[in-house]
Amino acid sequence: MKVTVCIGSSCHIKGSRSVVEQLQYLISDNNVGDKVELGGTFCMGNCQKGVCVNVDDEFYSVTPDTVKEFFETGIMAKL
Amino acid sequence: MNNLCADIGYKSIYHYGEELCGDHVDIVEQDENSTVVVLADGLGSGVKASILSTLTSKIISTMMAAGLSIEECVSTIASTLPVCSVRGVAYSTFTIIHIKNNDTADIIQYDNPHVILIRNNENYVYPEMEMNIDGKRIYKSTIKLCENDIFIAMSDGCPHAGIGIGYNFGWKREEIIEFMEALSNCGYTSKTLSTILVDECNKLYGGEPGDDATACIIKIRKREPMNILFGPPSNRNDCNRMMSLFFSKEGKHIICGGTTSSIAAKFLRRPLRPSLNFESSDIPPIAELEGVDLVTEGVITVNRVLEYARDYLDKNECYEKWNFKRDGAALICRLLFEEATDINFFVGRAINPAHQNPDLPINFSIKMNLVEELSACLKKMGKRIKVSYF
Repeated sequence: MKVTVCIGSSCHIKGSRSVVEQLQYLISDNNVGDKVELGGTFCMGNCQKGVCVNVDDEFYSVTPDTVKEFFETGIMAKL
Repeated sequence: MNNLCADIGYKSIYHYGEELCGDHVDIVEQDENSTVVVLADGLGSGVKASILSTLTSKIISTMMAAGLSIEECVSTIASTLPVCSVRGVAYSTFTIIHIKNNDTADIIQYDNPHVILIRNNENYVYPEMEMNIDGKRIYKSTIKLCENDIFIAMSDGCPHAGIGIGYNFGWKREEIIEFMEALSNCGYTSKTLSTILVDECNKLYGGEPGDDATACIIKIRKREPMNILFGPPSNRNDCNRMMSLFFSKEGKHIICGGTTSSIAAKFLRRPLRPSLNFESSDIPPIAELEGVDLVTEGVITVNRVLEYARDYLDKNECYEKWNFKRDGAALICRLLFEEATDINFFVGRAINPAHQNPDLPINFSIKMNLVEELSACLKKMGKRIKVSYF
């Protein structure tokens, strides 16, 4: 599974750094590093909905406060 | 004409408790390849010293740049400087470094610590000719320039640093030479080198300098072109034209902006690989793209570069940040401030609709202002700048 987080200007301001760091922590904490590939991308053209995250080809709007919830439903539930 | 140019930078610290500096550096560009640099140290400190040194450096640099002889400069100063009512003398020491055609340097010295020349990372002892002008003993040297030559002119506040505190006789010339030799090969700019030298003096003075101390450094280096791409073109159909112009230029290539780098990646037919390494910094991560030397995010990164540039021209207190950090802004600073001498800006005027949101501090006019202000700062650093809009 490939998870891509936008690190463009707009999403950066909305907290993509915190999203990435929380995901990095959650992935290693749940020992799913071999199943989930975390990557970055520049602007996805969806800045209004930032922070933009793609799981394979599915789009998610995540904020630093909803990362945990997103991780459970968007990633763990689909592994 | 050769391929050399002079990078000139200086920094002063003031006598403890004074608000003015009694040392003054004046730089006059005679033409594209010739420059007169004068470092003057006025008698005493404070207002009087400041007036004396400002007058001296201004008069000499203007006259020398106009092609007048050193004899005429000295006699003009002797007859125009105001006489100190306490000491009954009009006095300001000076060092002149006259870079001619980026090929030779004339050094003329009167009573300042003699200029140190570091060539191939070692102290180079150059010949001096003693002259007597109006009873003043003046030393003159003519030196053929080599790449990586570093000329260090100082006021006596530098070798006097630490007298009575750390050292009995101050910071000895040999020790200053040793200190600077060690720094000569690190790629620092002249401004950074002079800052490091003067900061060291300040430390030796225990943070309370007993005299004004100034270092003015001239570094002889090769011209180095650099190209920076910022923003997509306002007309989509111009993408290819903009990219081919950008990539046809000699020198390193920097791309700022997410969308911009995606366009470049498409043009180069190479994958764009954003990194997720935040480098313990609040600047967004950089990316990798084969064929491009550096890819960064746009507005936030460039805004930080501008902040560093302003500080560099002013007090240069942040140089440690951009010299040692590895985030996008620091990497751009090292390329633009240290490596580049001739910078071509390729600026796209596309308006990113997603950024025209009142909640975001990154709208179109801010972007254009960034370019204008940054290019103005780089010009002040002595770089040649060309800006093209698309």
